[in-house]
Amino acid sequence: MELALLAPAVAKAQDARSGLWAHLGAQAVVALERADPVPGGGSLAEVRVVQPVLHLGAGGLGPLRLTAVLNLEGATMPEGELALGNWGEGFVDRRHPHTYVHELIVTAADLLGTRPGAARLSLSAGKGFVPFGTDDPMVRPFLRYPVNHHLAQILERAVVIAAVRAGPLLAEAGLFNGDEPERPGQWPRIGGRFGDSWSGRVTGTLRRGLTVEGSYARVHSPEHRPGAGTDQDKWNAAGRWTRPIDGHPAYVLAEWARTSEADGFFVFHSVLVEGAWSTGPHRLQYRFERTERPEEERIARFRSLRPHLENSILGTTRWTTHTAGYEVVALRRRSLEVRPLAEVTYARVAKVGGGVIDVEELYGGRDLWSLALGVRISAGGAMHRMGRYGAAENETGMTEMTMQDHHSVGR
Amino acid sequence: MTALGRVRRQVVSPAILAALAACGGGEDGDGGTEPPPGSSFQIQAGGDNVNDRFSSDLWVHGAWAYTGTWGGAPRNGARGDVVKIWSLDAVGAPTLVDSLKVPAIGTVSDVQVSDDGALLVFSAERGTNAGLYVYDLTDPRTPAFLDSALVADGLHTATVAEVAGHRYVFAARNPTDPALIIYDITIPSDISVAATVPIPPAYGIHDTYVRDGLAFVFAWNTGVIIYDVGNGIVGGSPTQPREVSRLLTSDNNVAGGPQVHNGWWFHNPVRNEQRYLFIGQEGAGIIGSQSSGDLHVVDVSDLAHPMEVAFFHLDGAGTHNFWMDEDRQVLYMAYYNAGVVALDVSGVLAGDLSDRLIAKIQPGGTADTYTWGVQLAGGSLYAIDMLSGLWQLKVP
Repeated sequence: MELALLAPAVAKAQDARSGLWAHLGAQAVVALERADPVPGGGSLAEVRVVQPVLHLGAGGLGPLRLTAVLNLEGATMPEGELALGNWGEGFVDRRHPHTYVHELIVTAADLLGTRPGAARLSLSAGKGFVPFGTDDPMVRPFLRYPVNHHLAQILERAVVIAAVRAGPLLAEAGLFNGDEPERPGQWPRIGGRFGDSWSGRVTGTLRRGLTVEGSYARVHSPEHRPGAGTDQDKWNAAGRWTRPIDGHPAYVLAEWARTSEADGFFVFHSVLVEGAWSTGPHRLQYRFERTERPEEERIARFRSLRPHLENSILGTTRWTTHTAGYEVVALRRRSLEVRPLAEVTYARVAKVGGGVIDVEELYGGRDLWSLALGVRISAGGAMHRMGRYGAAENETGMTEMTMQDHHSVGR
Repeated sequence: MTALGRVRRQVVSPAILAALAACGGGEDGDGGTEPPPGSSFQIQAGGDNVNDRFSSDLWVHGAWAYTGTWGGAPRNGARGDVVKIWSLDAVGAPTLVDSLKVPAIGTVSDVQVSDDGALLVFSAERGTNAGLYVYDLTDPRTPAFLDSALVADGLHTATVAEVAGHRYVFAARNPTDPALIIYDITIPSDISVAATVPIPPAYGIHDTYVRDGLAFVFAWNTGVIIYDVGNGIVGGSPTQPREVSRLLTSDNNVAGGPQVHNGWWFHNPVRNEQRYLFIGQEGAGIIGSQSSGDLHVVDVSDLAHPMEVAFFHLDGAGTHNFWMDEDRQVLYMAYYNAGVVALDVSGVLAGDLSDRLIAKIQPGGTADTYTWGVQLAGGSLYAIDMLSGLWQLKVP
């Protein structure tokens, strides 16, 4: 079973003479998403293609590895995904589309050699995830992103990462540009920004399938690309458990996050616990989250003012959410899978502290419901665990499978 | 946010003039008046009189006052698309008499009446009709539209000033392409652009103070930039502004940097000097609740080499727009959640000015105060509070 959990991708091509290999995959979700109420009152439903990605892993040229993800959300959902509670990059109550080049990382792996038991050292560079926080929501069981996405992940940056693994310990350090993307086609701002932010993450494997991690990031002006914005100090601690129970794949993630901005003038907390359990083609999942969100001036129902003009917000809201979901493998033909899914989220929103934000006025109530019905279609290789490069991949040298692939071990 | 830095006439009541006449010399014995002894503000009238929207800027002229509305968040479902029109009675107490509604704007960000009382000028943000508006005040109760200049990103402030016989508006265009735009409104029914001066996007320009042919541009983390727009010091004009100098003030350990927001160039009639430029730093805030940022004092006696010399800090609050009683050497500052602050700026200013605090007041009380701007007129200090409306205060 463990081998199955860590199995390499299905769609892998290898040239026996050169040793070059590559595995390629793709996925997308066609989803009907409904929210009630939405800002301004009333309900809204829409159909979108979300998380459309092509992913590539390649290697065999000495120690070099390539990790690439092309994300097409800029084309399929340029106005974002209806997702109450989500915020960031100028979107609010909609999840922003990611940049087209989601990951493009070259890694020099095993720089200390590959002797069994020896420490592993890697260097990675390119555009991708910063070593901070927990896994990207796209490689977790749920369709809906948690509210804490911008508290718990830092992504799509120009980044250089050193990672060293020694026994059960993994340490990563990253140097990157602090500014968030402003639109899907934008590249990180390297000139004048690269190196203005840094992060570190330490991960310990307590036993097979059980890891704990702690990370810190100092991010300069994340929300103002020219660099005049306030800085963030971000902390994250998490435990992750992925082991089968009686032969049924299971997964639990518990996470705490804290972001302090403007030297503590604004502080946002998050606690999240989520789990999934699979049997045969079926998967059940549940997430609890309590996350604080800054409330910014809106220039439209789902958009906040960018670029910033000043460093004020309207207040803070606390989102307490419960999300339950079900996903089933309905069709599997070679490397093609079709998985219908359903998710329902209940959120209760409360104002925290002062400010002119008025939750009741904004939504017409404090109890919010969301529903997603969709079909996940995937082909080719399995999605890698985004944001883990080189020595940060698992100890076998293969990228650990994500919860999206747990069905394959439940057969 | 907007500010009140601009050329204006000081309105000094007979009582204050009498008090000035009775006062002795300045602190270093060069004659003139001293600031009043420590005392307190008193509420004379007003307050809790704008409940349908959040308030923004104000201007008082004669027996009339005009206040803007802010729409960064809706209040009772309404945005900041209205200018409130107030009548002041014989003792200056305000009564709301009418409102001027502008379609497709979200905030009235700055308000000013021309010195002769002929024009009402205001800037607007957020909305397809954001930009500059000019109204005729032949009937002060019923402003009549003359012209507008739409600006897609909106104007944050608009400062009316007379230069060489022409009337201009010095306006702050918001990002994404921030700029000082100088409009010629000499013919108020035909607004024209005299000049556009790009400002670095960090975060751009917030306010402008114009006096003696110099325009002080308050440009956030770029600092204050001094332009000759007719003074002659470096040959500038409203159509060809020329930079005299610039200064990045200290951040005073306020997160976000210097955040240079607004200012006032103090012409001190007591000491017969134009030495100090007061600058407001707008730090991080939670609108309606918390704020941060200090007053910075810059010595501009050598305009080519401005130098920061003093500051004033108030715990738990940050400064916003200014007004001065120059004859009495008192700086009045809107101070958001701290309300209104009066500061003694007589004599030589250096270092920490915390012992210069004369008085402060939260006109709406601790729970209902977030003061945007102040203006001295007719012997009263008028304060516009985002939460609790227009107040008439008796100064210390």
